[in-house]
Amino acid sequence: MISKAATGLALALALAIFCAPALAHHGAATYDEKLTTVKGTVTDFQFMNPHSAVLFDVTGADGKIEKWTAECASATTMARLGWNKTMFKPGDQVTVTGNAAKSGAKIMRLRKVVFPNGKEQMIDRGEDYAE
Amino acid sequence: MRKRILGLIVTTAAAALAFCSAMRSQTANPGNSASHASKAMPDLSGVWRRSRTAPDKTRKYTIYELAFSISNDVPPMTPWAQEKFNANKPNLGSRAVPLGESNDPIMQCFPPGVPRVYLIRGEPIEFAQIPGRVILLYEYDHFVRNIYTDGRGHPADPNPAWMGDSIGKWEGDTLVVDTVGFNDKTWLDNDGHPHSEDLHVVERVRRVSHDRLTIDATLEDPKAYTKPWTAHWVYELKPAWTLGEMACADNATYGDMQQKSEGTK
Repeated sequence: MISKAATGLALALALAIFCAPALAHHGAATYDEKLTTVKGTVTDFQFMNPHSAVLFDVTGADGKIEKWTAECASATTMARLGWNKTMFKPGDQVTVTGNAAKSGAKIMRLRKVVFPNGKEQMIDRGEDYAE
Repeated sequence: MRKRILGLIVTTAAAALAFCSAMRSQTANPGNSASHASKAMPDLSGVWRRSRTAPDKTRKYTIYELAFSISNDVPPMTPWAQEKFNANKPNLGSRAVPLGESNDPIMQCFPPGVPRVYLIRGEPIEFAQIPGRVILLYEYDHFVRNIYTDGRGHPADPNPAWMGDSIGKWEGDTLVVDTVGFNDKTWLDNDGHPHSEDLHVVERVRRVSHDRLTIDATLEDPKAYTKPWTAHWVYELKPAWTLGEMACADNATYGDMQQKSEGTK
């Protein structure tokens, strides 16, 4: 049996790791503070201003393809965080974690991506201009 | 005997002439003259970005927090300003409306004005100094402010401008920038605080150490605010950075995606 204290601690840690910057802000939160993770195949990578975006296809349990967009900061900001325009190629199998749009649109704010080689990239949300 | 006296006079005159010439050439050289104390002009040059470290070092600010407004202490607004504030619909912060309903002028890429050009998206700035001028470059939409330090005053009747008219003078190691001549079409911050054409901005810029620069800004606009609005911004040097390209017009390509994520398209 997991004690209440341990659960509380685990929850606090999870929140601190993933959500602290988001929780610090009030405002018209277009994106859910809860995190969503999907696996898919990259179709396009737009490395540009004002927001870069990874476009990928996610195959649902029913076999239908959902077209997702994971957006992040401007190309200039992402380049300063070590990104470049060749990081994603069409066909790459990626696992993407982010804050999905509350509207239900298949758009999320990118928080973490796991590349085909298993490498992970977290994004310091505080470093870019994002609510 | 007369020959000797003549010779002495000539020699003395020649020596005096030579001595005077030497003295003249010495005072003409500022480096040697004690009366012309030359002091090296402070060097603000470099790419700078707002420091994310809180003064007590307990946490890191997000760029969003730093970019949102001038400071957290908004002075009381006059009724004139309050009416404008209520009519201004931002797309950010606690008063945000969906993108399609926002009347924020930067959504159409109008110039952000001063001091919003410092804030807007938290992008870095760069100082460059040439004789008679300090040039302030902003990564945000490649704006440039020319701060004339050649002793000129403001024009007697400046044409209202988005970015105002800036002059500067050095007070010791501090660059004091004085800006007037604004139009009233810009917002002061991302929250939609308004201002009038009478806005007067003073920025005191000081490089406190090699890696640290502070800007103390004071905004006065009695038509809009009953007290001055002051702010203290801390910048850190980014030696590895150069200003990148950020074209506001690129926002148009993002607007579609944003409206989809908002569920308004």
